[in-house]
Amino acid sequence: MDQVVNDFTINIATANGTGSQSANLILLQTLFDMGIPVSGKNLFPSNISGLPTWYIVRLSEKGYQAPGDRTHIQILVNPATWEEDLASLEPGTVVIWNMDSKMPMEREDVISYPVPMTKIARKLNPKLARMIANVVYVGVLAELLGMDQEVLEAAISKQFGGKAKAIELNGEAARLGRAYFAEELTKSDNYAVESREIEEGGFFIEGNEAIALGSVFGGIQMLGWYPITPSSSVAEGIISWLPKLRTHEGKATYAVIQAEDELAAAGMIIGAGWAGARGLTATSGPGISLMQEFIGLAYFAEVPCVFWDVNRVGPSTGLPTRTQQGDLTMVYESSHGDTKHIVFIPGTVEECFEFGWKVFDASEKYQTPVFGFSDLDLGMNKWACRGFEYPDESIDRGKVVLTQEQMDSIENYGRYRDVDGDGIPYRTLPGSGLDPILYRGTGHDEDGTYSEKPDVYYKLMQRLGRKIDGARDYLPAPIIKEDEEQELGVIFYGSMENTIDEIEDIVEENSGKKISTCRIRALPLHSEVEAFMEKHDKIIVVEINRDAQLYGIMRKEYPLHLLSKMLSVAYSDGMPPRGRLYAERILEVLEEAEI
Amino acid sequence: MSEKRVKVVKLNVINEPKDSYTGGKSSLCPGCGHDQISNVIVTAAWDNGLQPHRIAKMSGIGCSSKTPAYYLGKSHGFNTVHGRMPSVTTGANVVNKDLTYIGVSGDGDSASIGIGQLIHAIRRNVNMVYVVENNGVYGLTKGQYSATADVGSKKKKGPVNETQPIDLCAMAINLGCSFVARSFSGSKKQLTALMKAAISHKGFALIDIISPCVTFNNNDESLRSYGYVKDNQAELHSVGYIPHFSPLEQVEVPAGSYTDVTLHDGSTMRLETISEDHDISDAVAALSALHKADADKKHVTGILYFDGEKPSLDVDLDLHDTPLVEMGEDLLRPSPEQLEDVIAALRG
Repeated sequence: MDQVVNDFTINIATANGTGSQSANLILLQTLFDMGIPVSGKNLFPSNISGLPTWYIVRLSEKGYQAPGDRTHIQILVNPATWEEDLASLEPGTVVIWNMDSKMPMEREDVISYPVPMTKIARKLNPKLARMIANVVYVGVLAELLGMDQEVLEAAISKQFGGKAKAIELNGEAARLGRAYFAEELTKSDNYAVESREIEEGGFFIEGNEAIALGSVFGGIQMLGWYPITPSSSVAEGIISWLPKLRTHEGKATYAVIQAEDELAAAGMIIGAGWAGARGLTATSGPGISLMQEFIGLAYFAEVPCVFWDVNRVGPSTGLPTRTQQGDLTMVYESSHGDTKHIVFIPGTVEECFEFGWKVFDASEKYQTPVFGFSDLDLGMNKWACRGFEYPDESIDRGKVVLTQEQMDSIENYGRYRDVDGDGIPYRTLPGSGLDPILYRGTGHDEDGTYSEKPDVYYKLMQRLGRKIDGARDYLPAPIIKEDEEQELGVIFYGSMENTIDEIEDIVEENSGKKISTCRIRALPLHSEVEAFMEKHDKIIVVEINRDAQLYGIMRKEYPLHLLSKMLSVAYSDGMPPRGRLYAERILEVLEEAEI
Repeated sequence: MSEKRVKVVKLNVINEPKDSYTGGKSSLCPGCGHDQISNVIVTAAWDNGLQPHRIAKMSGIGCSSKTPAYYLGKSHGFNTVHGRMPSVTTGANVVNKDLTYIGVSGDGDSASIGIGQLIHAIRRNVNMVYVVENNGVYGLTKGQYSATADVGSKKKKGPVNETQPIDLCAMAINLGCSFVARSFSGSKKQLTALMKAAISHKGFALIDIISPCVTFNNNDESLRSYGYVKDNQAELHSVGYIPHFSPLEQVEVPAGSYTDVTLHDGSTMRLETISEDHDISDAVAALSALHKADADKKHVTGILYFDGEKPSLDVDLDLHDTPLVEMGEDLLRPSPEQLEDVIAALRG
């Protein structure tokens, strides 16, 4: 039997609130620190304690980050999902199961490793047995797969950062798990891990924390937020870093308010933007739904403000702890009437940091609400990261008139007059005494005075359209990887970045076709996207939703001759995108189109 | 040589004429109580010697919220969305704590759609004046009852209101609001003194002003008509205001009993007893004054409750003395070395 090294998927079925997350992160960190390309996905319930949770650890020599197609090693701890989990396994799967759960093990066609996890843990510490039992399975896995004990212990220390008792207790639990496997069981499977060359300086970080850090380095001045999964850790990340990084003479250079609801959070950051500061809120789809009215005000009155939407599954309350790209159309055209907004779409944790500071510059430059678009998968899972690059541009406050001298140099100033021909007017700030106006969400002329005149309204709306349109090539360009053939192009965005390589490989294996890819990183669409479409014979837009939202936006904006090239693969089931599911749908679409 | 006629322009303590505080022409119905309140805001700001450009005028949506266009033409303002002025003001206030924020709203804004935002602004003690121009009806949508319409009151068209009203002052007192007053748009002297005191107060100052709607709710059967309020106003005290720049000792001492209350900027609110003393630090006394007036179908006016000690939001947030909007990149963007430290910490 050939060994399968560093190329398999482990599925761990536990209940939430039992400390399993710590055990799973120790496992992930150990594999990472051995230099093995590994990714972890936490599938958790909308609940605090007792409901089923799965953690998927995928080892992949090719560096695939998506959850794999099948489970190779199953850890069974949770009686609630035991039978279903067991039934779903393919023959030959390794099953490490807790003998003390008193659940039946009725499959003969799997490789069974029974372990008295609770008993081992109880011997060590009866009170904390439920928690420690999770680290026992990490020890069992370490022995089964040949994980380095020193690296494992270092990972335990890191997880329990400085807490000596916890480190000792969990370290011992892992050792006992290891010893149990070595003494009582015989390895009869062919899975193994091997250390690889370690890329120095890497670490794990969640997308939300990267956004939080980017915001702090972007000069956030006002955070108004309301808790909602899966975005809360953006705000909490900002709150945890601000005192360390943004205290001056012992005092805050920022204001944070947990609002009474999402409407108030939006109002607060718009107030901050109006007053001349950088305001940000982080929310998810339901929050954006509530903020729509305010977003329209900021668009129409031209007030800078930043909204991060960490997408979860809609509609309505939907699946609050699952992932989707379901809010793209909503954020792009947020609020009633004709609106269009700038949207930054990171696909990696490095981009979460980079766009975290860039959104502020864009918002103040264009004097408009700017959205960051992430999702639960990117936001709440831990991703390997090489580091963050310090902002390579100074803070851009846009066209703000601060002195009378500046004001005098502007010919025919009006708050909403397009003096420079780029659709972006100049603004003055409250307290400055420079050309004060009453900002309003009602129709207004170039001086900001109330007006319902047809030509005034028409011109204003045309200018606003031109202003946002003009941002296209200022925004992050798409990441394009072109194949020589230029036959088939795949356009995608956001967290799909982490599955696209696998999709490409499966499509090529099954059809012999090489594909070019174009990852969109902002709306409105960069001109390079259109050029990419021109070059390729067929374009497939791949996204994680039902209604093909990006495809719809593109069909609305592109010329007729490009529309006939466009095909769509839109699929969403709440799970992080799995390569095979999307690859198969791409193959189906190609077949239907007879390509 | 004939003598030239010299027009004497009266200047305030910072040498500004009153014209520096006026605004555009009102488009409200002639005789609207709101216009009287706008005039009071102009007078109070001028008398207090505020720099016009250091005031921010905030509003929501409705007849009342249109008024910022009619006063303080040299101040920036924000006519926001319905009922959401408090959150916008909160955000502006924390990033520029040095401006004077005067918010104007109506009973639709404050007692219905925006009641939650009003409550939370009170709870946070945002440093602002919050004026409610309260007439018991929705004006802009043509005369529907609002949530402050009194039981038994009847507007010009439609049935008698039978639904229990929300008393914004009682609500604010229960929330621990640091300055709660009720007044009447027709009581210019009292209202002007209260407005000045509210401006001098550091914290959330609510002034609920009965401001009759001449078009939809000024008939005799309405408990918020000019005639009714004029005849049924129960004044808690006579309110006077002595600005910090006028020496207190030069002000004539009242004949009867009075209480002086020192405000944050050093100004004084002088409360002269009319019939019996009202202790403005006693929330229960304030509530019983409201309940008594309600039972008698009267409108109690004056300063109901006051707490000069409660820290305002900007203090709670431990903000740097320099307003956040005045900070540059050196304070807003941490250094490259700090980023290196962050990454080192993440590497563990």
